[in-house]
Amino acid sequence: MPVRTPHFPDLLFGSAARLRRWEGALMGLLADHGYRELHPSLVLREAVPEGALRFFDGDELVALRWDFTVALAGLLARSFPTPPDRVAYAGAVFRRPVQPWEAVERFEVGCERIQPEGEPAAEADVELARMLMAIPGLIGLKSAILHLGNAALVRRPLEAEGLFGELADAVVAALSRRAPHRVREALDGHPSAARLSAHAEALLSELDGPGTLSALESSPYASLLEEERSHMDRALKTLLPILPPNLELRVDLADVAGLGFYTGPTLRLWAPGAQQELAAGGRYDRLFPDLGRPWQAAGFCVRLSRLLDLAATRPDLFEEPR
Amino acid sequence: MNQTLLIAFPKGRLGDELVPKLAGTPLALDTAALKSRVLRIPTATPGVAALLLKGADLPRYVAAGVASLGIVGSDTLDEMDMDLLELADLGFGACRLSLCAKTGVTLEDLRAKPHLRLATKFPKATEAWLSREGLTAELVPLSSSAELAPLLGLADAIVDLVQTGGTLKAHGLVETAVLGRSSARLVAARGAYLSEPGRIRPLADMLLGALKAKA
Repeated sequence: MPVRTPHFPDLLFGSAARLRRWEGALMGLLADHGYRELHPSLVLREAVPEGALRFFDGDELVALRWDFTVALAGLLARSFPTPPDRVAYAGAVFRRPVQPWEAVERFEVGCERIQPEGEPAAEADVELARMLMAIPGLIGLKSAILHLGNAALVRRPLEAEGLFGELADAVVAALSRRAPHRVREALDGHPSAARLSAHAEALLSELDGPGTLSALESSPYASLLEEERSHMDRALKTLLPILPPNLELRVDLADVAGLGFYTGPTLRLWAPGAQQELAAGGRYDRLFPDLGRPWQAAGFCVRLSRLLDLAATRPDLFEEPR
Repeated sequence: MNQTLLIAFPKGRLGDELVPKLAGTPLALDTAALKSRVLRIPTATPGVAALLLKGADLPRYVAAGVASLGIVGSDTLDEMDMDLLELADLGFGACRLSLCAKTGVTLEDLRAKPHLRLATKFPKATEAWLSREGLTAELVPLSSSAELAPLLGLADAIVDLVQTGGTLKAHGLVETAVLGRSSARLVAARGAYLSEPGRIRPLADMLLGALKAKA
Protein backbone atom coordinates (compact mmCIF):
# COMPACT_ATOMS: atom_id res chain seq x y z
CA MET A 1 0.00 0.00 0.00
CA PRO A 2 1.65 3.30 -1.04
CA VAL A 3 1.92 5.82 1.78
CA ARG A 4 2.77 8.74 -0.45
CA THR A 5 0.43 9.63 -3.28
CA PRO A 6 0.71 12.62 -5.61
CA HIS A 7 -1.22 15.54 -4.22
CA PHE A 8 -3.94 16.81 -6.55
CA PRO A 9 -5.72 19.54 -4.59
CA ASP A 10 -9.46 19.40 -3.90
CA LEU A 11 -10.97 22.84 -3.34
CA LEU A 12 -13.90 23.32 -0.99
CA PHE A 13 -16.52 26.03 -1.42
CA GLY A 14 -14.62 29.12 -0.24
CA SER A 15 -11.36 28.19 -1.98
CA ALA A 16 -13.14 27.16 -5.19
CA ALA A 17 -15.01 30.47 -5.25
CA ARG A 18 -11.79 32.37 -4.57
CA LEU A 19 -10.01 30.57 -7.41
CA ARG A 20 -12.77 31.42 -9.89
CA ARG A 21 -12.93 35.04 -8.65
CA TRP A 22 -9.17 35.55 -8.94
CA GLU A 23 -8.97 33.78 -12.28
CA GLY A 24 -11.75 35.99 -13.64
CA ALA A 25 -10.26 39.20 -12.26
CA LEU A 26 -6.78 38.42 -13.59
CA MET A 27 -7.99 37.38 -17.04
CA GLY A 28 -10.09 40.57 -17.07
CA LEU A 29 -7.00 42.66 -16.32
CA LEU A 30 -5.08 40.96 -19.12
CA ALA A 31 -7.98 41.34 -21.57
CA ASP A 32 -8.19 45.06 -20.71
CA HIS A 33 -4.54 45.36 -21.78
CA GLY A 34 -5.19 43.63 -25.11
CA TYR A 35 -4.10 40.10 -24.16
CA ARG A 36 -6.11 37.39 -25.94
CA GLU A 37 -6.59 33.95 -24.44
CA LEU A 38 -5.10 30.76 -25.83
CA HIS A 39 -5.82 27.36 -24.38
CA PRO A 40 -3.21 24.75 -25.32
CA SER A 41 -4.08 21.07 -24.96
CA LEU A 42 -3.73 19.47 -21.57
CA VAL A 43 -1.88 16.54 -23.14
CA LEU A 44 1.56 17.00 -24.68
CA ARG A 45 2.37 14.77 -27.58
CA GLU A 46 5.79 16.23 -28.36
CA ALA A 47 9.03 15.34 -26.62
CA VAL A 48 8.29 14.76 -22.94
CA PRO A 49 10.28 17.24 -20.87
CA GLU A 50 12.07 16.41 -17.64
CA GLY A 51 9.82 17.00 -14.63
CA ALA A 52 6.64 16.31 -16.62
CA LEU A 53 4.11 13.78 -15.46
CA ARG A 54 4.30 11.02 -18.03
CA PHE A 55 1.90 8.26 -18.86
CA PHE A 56 1.11 5.86 -21.67
CA ASP A 57 -1.80 6.36 -24.03
CA GLY A 58 -1.95 2.93 -25.63
CA ASP A 59 1.61 2.38 -26.81
CA GLU A 60 2.44 6.06 -26.95
CA LEU A 61 4.28 7.92 -24.20
CA VAL A 62 2.57 11.23 -23.52
CA ALA A 63 2.57 13.75 -20.70
CA LEU A 64 0.31 16.25 -19.02
CA ARG A 65 0.89 19.94 -19.67
CA TRP A 66 3.67 20.80 -17.22
CA ASP A 67 4.21 24.45 -18.13
CA PHE A 68 2.01 26.85 -20.03
CA THR A 69 4.93 28.77 -21.56
CA VAL A 70 6.39 25.77 -23.33
CA ALA A 71 2.98 24.47 -24.44
CA LEU A 72 1.97 27.91 -25.73
CA ALA A 73 5.25 28.39 -27.55
CA GLY A 74 4.77 25.14 -29.43
CA LEU A 75 1.22 26.08 -30.37
CA LEU A 76 2.18 29.60 -31.50
CA ALA A 77 5.21 28.46 -33.47
CA ARG A 78 3.07 25.91 -35.34
CA SER A 79 0.08 28.17 -35.94
CA PHE A 80 1.41 31.64 -36.81
CA PRO A 81 3.89 32.94 -39.40
CA THR A 82 4.05 36.19 -37.43
CA PRO A 83 3.33 36.23 -33.71
CA PRO A 84 0.16 37.51 -32.07
CA ASP A 85 1.73 40.14 -29.83
CA ARG A 86 -0.21 39.63 -26.60
CA VAL A 87 -1.49 36.26 -25.38
CA ALA A 88 -2.95 35.12 -22.05
CA TYR A 89 -3.79 31.78 -20.46
CA ALA A 90 -5.50 30.29 -17.40
CA GLY A 91 -5.69 26.74 -16.10
CA ALA A 92 -3.67 24.01 -14.45
CA VAL A 93 -0.21 22.58 -15.02
CA PHE A 94 0.98 19.23 -13.69
CA ARG A 95 4.52 19.22 -12.45
CA ARG A 96 6.52 16.62 -10.56
CA PRO A 97 7.00 18.17 -7.10
CA VAL A 98 10.43 18.84 -5.63
CA GLN A 99 9.14 18.47 -2.06
CA PRO A 100 6.69 15.72 -1.09
CA TRP A 101 4.24 18.26 0.40
CA GLU A 102 3.92 20.22 -2.86
CA ALA A 103 0.89 19.77 -5.06
CA VAL A 104 1.22 18.12 -8.47
CA GLU A 105 -1.65 20.12 -9.99
CA ARG A 106 -1.09 23.88 -9.88
CA PHE A 107 -3.43 26.62 -11.00
CA GLU A 108 -1.98 29.49 -12.98
CA VAL A 109 -2.90 32.62 -14.88
CA GLY A 110 -0.32 34.28 -17.07
CA CYS A 111 0.53 36.24 -20.14
CA GLU A 112 3.15 36.58 -22.82
CA ARG A 113 4.30 39.55 -24.90
CA ILE A 114 5.88 38.50 -28.20
CA GLN A 115 7.73 40.62 -30.74
CA PRO A 116 9.71 40.05 -33.93
CA GLU A 117 13.44 39.78 -33.32
CA GLY A 118 15.26 43.10 -33.13
CA GLU A 119 12.32 45.20 -32.00
CA PRO A 120 13.03 47.31 -28.89
CA ALA A 121 11.92 45.31 -25.87
CA ALA A 122 12.14 47.82 -23.02
CA GLU A 123 8.57 49.04 -23.41
CA ALA A 124 7.19 45.49 -23.30
CA ASP A 125 9.18 44.75 -20.13
CA VAL A 126 7.73 47.83 -18.40
CA GLU A 127 4.22 46.95 -19.63
CA LEU A 128 4.50 43.56 -17.93
CA ALA A 129 5.83 45.12 -14.72
CA ARG A 130 2.94 47.60 -14.64
CA MET A 131 0.38 44.82 -15.00
CA LEU A 132 2.08 42.79 -12.28
CA MET A 133 1.98 45.85 -10.03
CA ALA A 134 -1.82 45.93 -10.35
CA ILE A 135 -2.28 42.32 -9.26
CA PRO A 136 -1.94 42.62 -5.43
CA GLY A 137 -4.78 45.19 -5.37
CA LEU A 138 -6.87 43.05 -7.70
CA ILE A 139 -6.74 39.94 -5.52
CA GLY A 140 -6.92 41.78 -2.20
CA LEU A 141 -3.35 41.39 -0.94
CA LYS A 142 -2.84 44.06 1.69
CA SER A 143 0.81 44.56 0.84
CA ALA A 144 3.31 43.09 -1.58
CA ILE A 145 6.86 43.39 -2.84
CA LEU A 146 7.94 43.39 -6.47
CA HIS A 147 11.53 42.27 -7.07
CA LEU A 148 13.19 43.46 -10.26
CA GLY A 149 16.18 41.43 -11.41
CA ASN A 150 18.07 40.72 -14.61
CA ALA A 151 19.32 37.28 -15.62
CA ALA A 152 21.96 38.87 -17.87
CA LEU A 153 23.78 40.24 -14.81
CA VAL A 154 25.00 36.70 -14.18
CA ARG A 155 24.78 35.18 -17.62
CA ARG A 156 26.93 37.73 -19.46
CA PRO A 157 29.95 37.66 -17.09
CA LEU A 158 29.90 33.84 -17.11
CA GLU A 159 29.84 33.81 -20.91
CA ALA A 160 32.53 36.49 -21.10
CA GLU A 161 34.81 34.30 -18.95
CA GLY A 162 34.02 31.24 -21.07
CA LEU A 163 32.48 29.53 -18.06
CA PHE A 164 29.96 26.86 -19.06
CA GLY A 165 28.84 23.44 -17.86
CA GLU A 166 29.37 22.14 -14.35
CA LEU A 167 31.53 25.01 -13.14
CA ALA A 168 29.00 27.62 -14.30
CA ASP A 169 26.24 25.56 -12.65
CA ALA A 170 28.20 25.52 -9.39
CA VAL A 171 28.59 29.32 -9.48
CA VAL A 172 24.89 29.79 -10.21
CA ALA A 173 23.94 27.36 -7.41
CA ALA A 174 26.14 29.32 -4.99
CA LEU A 175 24.56 32.61 -6.07
CA SER A 176 21.13 31.07 -5.67
CA ARG A 177 22.08 30.28 -2.08
CA ARG A 178 23.34 33.89 -1.79
CA ALA A 179 26.61 32.48 -0.55
CA PRO A 180 29.67 34.39 -1.83
CA HIS A 181 31.94 32.02 0.11
CA ARG A 182 30.55 29.16 -2.00
CA VAL A 183 31.32 31.10 -5.19
CA ARG A 184 34.94 31.42 -4.06
CA GLU A 185 35.06 27.70 -3.19
CA ALA A 186 33.59 26.70 -6.57
CA LEU A 187 36.05 28.86 -8.53
CA ASP A 188 39.12 28.00 -6.47
CA GLY A 189 42.13 27.97 -8.83
CA HIS A 190 40.21 29.21 -11.90
CA PRO A 191 41.76 32.19 -13.77
CA SER A 192 38.55 34.22 -13.42
CA ALA A 193 38.05 33.41 -9.71
CA ALA A 194 38.93 36.87 -8.36
CA ARG A 195 36.79 38.74 -10.91
CA LEU A 196 33.73 36.53 -10.60
CA SER A 197 33.98 36.44 -6.80
CA ALA A 198 34.08 40.25 -6.70
CA HIS A 199 31.08 40.31 -9.04
CA ALA A 200 29.18 37.91 -6.77
CA GLU A 201 29.94 40.15 -3.77
CA ALA A 202 28.54 43.14 -5.70
CA LEU A 203 25.37 41.28 -6.71
CA LEU A 204 24.78 40.08 -3.17
CA SER A 205 25.63 43.31 -1.39
CA GLU A 206 22.20 44.93 -1.17
CA LEU A 207 18.50 44.26 -1.44
CA ASP A 208 17.22 47.67 -0.53
CA GLY A 209 15.59 49.35 -3.51
CA PRO A 210 16.85 51.76 -6.14
CA GLY A 211 20.21 52.40 -4.41
CA THR A 212 21.06 48.74 -5.02
CA LEU A 213 21.92 49.46 -8.64
CA SER A 214 24.95 51.49 -7.55
CA ALA A 215 26.41 48.26 -6.09
CA LEU A 216 27.12 47.24 -9.68
CA GLU A 217 29.76 49.99 -9.89
CA SER A 218 32.09 47.89 -7.75
CA SER A 219 31.82 44.90 -10.09
CA PRO A 220 34.71 44.16 -12.49
CA TYR A 221 32.02 43.72 -15.14
CA ALA A 222 30.44 47.14 -14.58
CA SER A 223 31.15 48.31 -18.16
CA LEU A 224 30.05 44.99 -19.70
CA LEU A 225 26.73 45.35 -17.88
CA GLU A 226 26.17 49.05 -18.57
CA GLU A 227 23.24 48.37 -20.90
CA GLU A 228 21.49 46.13 -18.34
CA ARG A 229 22.07 48.69 -15.61
CA SER A 230 20.63 51.58 -17.61
CA HIS A 231 17.67 49.37 -18.65
CA MET A 232 16.91 48.64 -14.98
CA ASP A 233 17.44 52.27 -14.07
CA ARG A 234 14.97 53.42 -16.75
CA ALA A 235 12.43 50.81 -15.60
CA LEU A 236 12.74 52.01 -12.00
CA LYS A 237 12.30 55.65 -13.02
CA THR A 238 9.13 54.70 -14.89
CA LEU A 239 7.68 52.42 -12.23
CA LEU A 240 8.48 54.23 -8.98
CA PRO A 241 6.19 57.25 -9.61
CA ILE A 242 3.23 54.97 -10.36
CA LEU A 243 3.82 52.52 -7.53
CA PRO A 244 0.48 51.69 -5.88
CA PRO A 245 0.22 52.16 -2.12
CA ASN A 246 1.22 49.03 -0.19
CA LEU A 247 3.48 47.81 -2.99
CA GLU A 248 7.22 47.98 -2.44
CA LEU A 249 9.70 47.86 -5.32
CA ARG A 250 13.07 46.21 -4.71
CA VAL A 251 16.02 45.52 -6.96
CA ASP A 252 17.36 42.00 -6.61
CA LEU A 253 20.64 41.82 -8.52
CA ALA A 254 21.29 38.23 -7.45
CA ASP A 255 18.10 36.73 -8.85
CA VAL A 256 19.30 33.62 -10.68
CA ALA A 257 16.17 31.47 -10.40
CA GLY A 258 15.38 30.07 -13.83
CA LEU A 259 18.65 31.34 -15.27
CA GLY A 260 18.64 28.58 -17.88
CA PHE A 261 15.42 30.06 -19.26
CA TYR A 262 15.47 33.81 -18.62
CA THR A 263 17.75 35.99 -20.72
CA GLY A 264 17.03 39.51 -19.41
CA PRO A 265 14.86 41.38 -16.89
CA THR A 266 13.03 39.25 -14.32
CA LEU A 267 10.01 40.01 -12.10
CA ARG A 268 8.96 38.31 -8.87
CA LEU A 269 6.04 39.13 -6.64
CA TRP A 270 6.16 38.39 -2.90
CA ALA A 271 3.93 39.10 0.07
CA PRO A 272 5.56 39.91 3.41
CA GLY A 273 5.69 36.62 5.28
CA ALA A 274 5.03 34.43 2.24
CA GLN A 275 7.40 31.50 1.94
CA GLN A 276 7.23 31.32 -1.85
CA GLU A 277 6.99 33.85 -4.65
CA LEU A 278 3.41 34.44 -5.78
CA ALA A 279 4.11 35.45 -9.36
CA ALA A 280 7.20 35.29 -11.50
CA GLY A 281 8.28 36.14 -14.98
CA GLY A 282 10.77 37.87 -17.20
CA ARG A 283 12.33 37.96 -20.63
CA TYR A 284 13.12 34.66 -22.36
CA ASP A 285 14.37 35.49 -25.83
CA ARG A 286 15.78 32.05 -26.64
CA LEU A 287 12.51 30.12 -26.46
CA PHE A 288 11.07 30.87 -29.92
CA PRO A 289 14.37 30.83 -31.86
CA ASP A 290 14.85 27.28 -30.51
CA LEU A 291 11.49 26.45 -32.14
CA GLY A 292 12.57 27.99 -35.44
CA ARG A 293 10.83 31.36 -35.02
CA PRO A 294 12.83 34.63 -34.87
CA TRP A 295 10.68 36.08 -32.12
CA GLN A 296 11.53 37.47 -28.72
CA ALA A 297 9.26 37.04 -25.72
CA ALA A 298 8.62 38.00 -22.13
CA GLY A 299 5.80 37.12 -19.77
CA PHE A 300 4.76 36.29 -16.25
CA CYS A 301 2.69 33.73 -14.44
CA VAL A 302 0.58 34.21 -11.31
CA ARG A 303 0.75 31.13 -9.10
CA LEU A 304 -2.83 30.85 -7.91
CA SER A 305 -2.24 27.63 -5.96
CA ARG A 306 0.32 29.40 -3.77
CA LEU A 307 -2.04 32.34 -3.33
CA LEU A 308 -4.83 29.97 -2.27
CA ASP A 309 -2.50 28.33 0.27
CA LEU A 310 -1.45 31.75 1.56
CA ALA A 311 -5.07 32.88 1.90
CA ALA A 312 -5.82 29.73 3.92
CA THR A 313 -2.78 29.98 6.22
CA ARG A 314 -2.34 33.76 6.48
CA PRO A 315 -5.80 35.34 6.00
CA ASP A 316 -4.45 38.42 7.81
CA LEU A 317 -2.48 39.26 4.63
CA PHE A 318 -5.68 39.70 2.59
CA GLU A 319 -8.53 42.20 2.55
CA GLU A 320 -12.01 40.79 3.08
CA PRO A 321 -13.54 40.11 -0.37
CA ARG A 322 -16.11 42.71 -1.38
CA MET B 1 0.90 39.80 12.52
CA ASN B 2 3.94 40.13 14.78
CA GLN B 3 5.11 36.53 15.17
CA THR B 4 8.04 35.35 17.28
CA LEU B 5 11.14 34.89 15.15
CA LEU B 6 12.55 31.38 15.41
CA ILE B 7 16.19 30.38 14.91
CA ALA B 8 16.99 26.69 14.50
CA PHE B 9 20.04 25.65 16.54
CA PRO B 10 21.72 22.27 16.16
CA LYS B 11 21.87 19.70 18.92
CA GLY B 12 24.99 17.59 19.34
CA ARG B 13 28.60 18.49 18.63
CA LEU B 14 27.88 21.71 16.73
CA GLY B 15 25.35 22.83 19.35
CA ASP B 16 27.85 22.13 22.13
CA GLU B 17 30.23 24.58 20.45
CA LEU B 18 27.55 27.13 19.63
CA VAL B 19 25.71 27.58 22.94
CA PRO B 20 28.73 28.82 24.97
CA LYS B 21 29.58 31.25 22.15
CA LEU B 22 26.18 32.90 22.60
CA ALA B 23 26.39 33.26 26.40
CA GLY B 24 26.22 36.93 27.40
CA THR B 25 25.00 38.04 23.94
CA PRO B 26 21.48 39.16 22.94
CA LEU B 27 20.91 35.63 21.66
CA ALA B 28 22.00 33.83 24.82
CA LEU B 29 19.69 30.90 25.52
CA ASP B 30 17.64 30.81 28.71
CA THR B 31 19.70 28.48 30.90
CA ALA B 32 16.74 27.15 32.92
CA ALA B 33 14.90 26.18 29.73
CA LEU B 34 18.11 24.71 28.34
CA LYS B 35 18.37 22.33 31.30
CA SER B 36 14.77 21.19 30.85
CA ARG B 37 13.50 18.95 28.07
CA VAL B 38 11.90 21.90 26.31
CA LEU B 39 12.92 22.22 22.65
CA ARG B 40 11.78 25.81 22.11
CA ILE B 41 14.06 28.01 24.19
CA PRO B 42 13.64 31.76 24.78
CA THR B 43 16.67 33.96 24.08
CA ALA B 44 17.79 37.14 25.82
CA THR B 45 15.98 39.12 23.10
CA PRO B 46 12.19 39.23 23.46
CA GLY B 47 10.41 37.98 20.36
CA VAL B 48 13.29 35.69 19.36
CA ALA B 49 13.35 32.01 20.36
CA ALA B 50 15.54 29.07 19.47
CA LEU B 51 14.44 25.64 18.31
CA LEU B 52 16.82 22.81 19.23
CA LEU B 53 16.89 20.34 16.37
CA LYS B 54 18.93 17.43 15.10
CA GLY B 55 21.19 18.48 12.24
CA ALA B 56 19.46 16.17 9.77
CA ASP B 57 16.05 17.75 10.51
CA LEU B 58 17.14 21.36 10.84
CA PRO B 59 17.30 22.28 7.12
CA ARG B 60 13.70 21.13 6.64
CA TYR B 61 12.42 23.43 9.39
CA VAL B 62 14.23 26.38 7.79
CA ALA B 63 13.36 25.51 4.18
CA ALA B 64 9.68 25.30 5.14
CA GLY B 65 9.92 28.75 6.74
CA VAL B 66 9.08 27.51 10.25
CA ALA B 67 12.41 28.91 11.46
CA SER B 68 13.67 32.05 9.74
CA LEU B 69 17.34 31.28 10.35
CA GLY B 70 19.37 28.23 11.28
CA ILE B 71 22.90 27.05 11.98
CA VAL B 72 23.92 23.77 10.43
CA GLY B 73 27.05 21.99 9.20
CA SER B 74 27.85 22.39 5.50
CA ASP B 75 28.17 18.58 5.29
CA THR B 76 24.46 18.26 6.15
CA LEU B 77 23.55 21.06 3.76
CA ASP B 78 25.40 19.45 0.87
CA GLU B 79 23.93 16.06 1.62
CA MET B 80 20.33 17.30 1.79
CA ASP B 81 20.54 20.00 -0.92
CA MET B 82 17.51 21.90 0.43
CA ASP B 83 16.36 25.21 -1.02
CA LEU B 84 18.04 27.45 1.54
CA LEU B 85 20.03 30.65 1.52
CA GLU B 86 23.50 30.26 3.01
CA LEU B 87 24.39 33.67 4.40
CA ALA B 88 27.75 33.01 6.02
CA ASP B 89 30.46 30.50 6.77
CA LEU B 90 30.66 30.77 10.58
CA GLY B 91 34.06 29.14 10.75
CA PHE B 92 33.54 27.00 13.83
CA GLY B 93 32.76 23.29 13.89
CA ALA B 94 35.45 22.70 11.26
CA CYS B 95 35.96 19.08 10.29
CA ARG B 96 36.88 16.87 7.35
CA LEU B 97 34.76 14.39 5.46
CA SER B 98 37.22 11.54 5.12
CA LEU B 99 37.58 8.02 3.81
CA CYS B 100 38.79 5.98 6.76
CA ALA B 101 40.00 2.39 6.88
CA LYS B 102 41.73 0.04 9.31
CA THR B 103 45.32 1.02 10.15
CA GLY B 104 47.65 -0.36 7.48
CA VAL B 105 45.03 -0.26 4.68
CA THR B 106 45.92 2.32 2.02
CA LEU B 107 43.83 4.09 -0.60
CA GLU B 108 45.56 1.95 -3.24
CA ASP B 109 44.49 -1.19 -1.38
CA LEU B 110 40.91 0.03 -1.47
CA ARG B 111 41.17 1.00 -5.16
CA ALA B 112 42.39 -2.50 -5.98
CA LYS B 113 39.39 -4.22 -4.42
CA PRO B 114 37.10 -5.81 -7.02
CA HIS B 115 34.08 -5.14 -4.81
CA LEU B 116 34.53 -2.16 -2.53
CA ARG B 117 32.00 -1.61 0.25
CA LEU B 118 31.80 1.78 1.98
CA ALA B 119 29.63 2.52 4.99
CA THR B 120 28.45 6.11 5.36
CA LYS B 121 25.71 8.50 6.32
CA PHE B 122 26.88 10.78 3.51
CA PRO B 123 25.90 8.83 0.35
CA LYS B 124 25.63 11.89 -1.88
CA ALA B 125 29.10 13.25 -1.08
CA THR B 126 30.53 9.73 -1.29
CA GLU B 127 28.97 9.08 -4.69
CA ALA B 128 30.32 12.41 -5.98
CA TRP B 129 33.83 11.54 -4.80
CA LEU B 130 33.64 8.02 -6.28
CA SER B 131 32.56 9.53 -9.57
CA ARG B 132 35.48 12.02 -9.54
CA GLU B 133 37.90 9.18 -8.73
CA GLY B 134 36.46 6.87 -11.39
CA LEU B 135 35.61 4.25 -8.76
CA THR B 136 32.51 2.20 -8.08
CA ALA B 137 31.47 0.93 -4.68
CA GLU B 138 28.55 -0.54 -2.82
CA LEU B 139 27.32 1.99 -0.28
CA VAL B 140 26.11 0.71 3.09
CA PRO B 141 23.85 3.36 4.65
CA LEU B 142 24.47 3.95 8.38
CA SER B 143 23.26 6.71 10.64
CA SER B 144 25.67 6.34 13.58
CA SER B 145 28.69 4.46 14.98
CA ALA B 146 30.14 4.02 11.49
CA GLU B 147 33.56 3.28 13.01
CA LEU B 148 32.35 -0.24 13.85
CA ALA B 149 31.66 -1.13 10.23
CA PRO B 150 35.27 -1.87 9.08
CA LEU B 151 36.12 -3.54 12.39
CA LEU B 152 33.21 -5.97 12.21
CA GLY B 153 33.39 -6.65 8.47
CA LEU B 154 30.27 -4.73 7.44
CA ALA B 155 32.34 -2.58 5.07
CA ASP B 156 35.92 -2.18 3.83
CA ALA B 157 36.03 1.47 4.89
CA ILE B 158 33.83 4.34 6.00
CA VAL B 159 33.22 7.90 4.86
CA ASP B 160 32.61 10.00 7.93
CA LEU B 161 33.28 13.35 9.57
CA VAL B 162 36.60 13.65 11.36
CA GLN B 163 37.33 16.50 13.74
CA THR B 164 40.34 15.54 15.89
CA GLY B 165 40.83 11.95 14.77
CA GLY B 166 40.53 10.71 18.39
CA THR B 167 37.53 8.44 17.74
CA LEU B 168 39.22 6.97 14.68
CA LYS B 169 42.40 6.25 16.61
CA ALA B 170 40.43 4.63 19.43
CA HIS B 171 38.96 2.21 16.88
CA GLY B 172 42.19 1.50 15.04
CA LEU B 173 41.22 3.47 11.94
CA VAL B 174 43.15 6.02 9.84
CA GLU B 175 42.18 8.60 7.22
CA THR B 176 43.14 7.48 3.73
CA ALA B 177 41.63 10.38 1.77
CA VAL B 178 39.91 13.70 2.44
CA LEU B 179 36.71 14.09 0.40
CA GLY B 180 35.82 17.59 1.59
CA ARG B 181 35.71 20.03 4.46
CA SER B 182 32.80 21.18 6.57
CA SER B 183 32.03 24.02 8.96
CA ALA B 184 28.98 25.67 10.52
CA ARG B 185 26.89 27.81 8.17
CA LEU B 186 24.21 30.41 8.83
CA VAL B 187 21.21 29.55 6.69
CA ALA B 188 18.00 31.46 6.05
CA ALA B 189 14.57 30.57 4.71
CA ARG B 190 14.40 31.93 1.16
CA GLY B 191 10.85 33.20 1.54
CA ALA B 192 11.39 34.92 4.89
CA TYR B 193 14.65 36.52 3.78
CA LEU B 194 13.36 37.82 0.45
CA SER B 195 9.89 38.85 1.59
CA GLU B 196 10.79 40.30 5.00
CA PRO B 197 14.42 41.42 4.83
CA GLY B 198 13.63 44.22 7.31
CA ARG B 199 12.90 41.57 9.98
CA ILE B 200 15.33 38.81 9.04
CA ARG B 201 18.52 40.70 8.12
CA PRO B 202 18.81 42.48 11.48
CA LEU B 203 18.39 39.11 13.20
CA ALA B 204 21.10 37.59 11.00
CA ASP B 205 23.35 40.57 11.75
CA MET B 206 22.64 40.16 15.48
CA LEU B 207 23.64 36.49 15.31
CA LEU B 208 26.79 37.21 13.30
CA GLY B 209 27.68 40.04 15.68
CA ALA B 210 27.20 37.80 18.73
CA LEU B 211 29.43 35.09 17.27
CA LYS B 212 32.06 37.60 16.14
CA ALA B 213 32.21 39.16 19.61
CA LYS B 214 32.98 35.74 21.08
CA ALA B 215 35.46 34.70 18.36
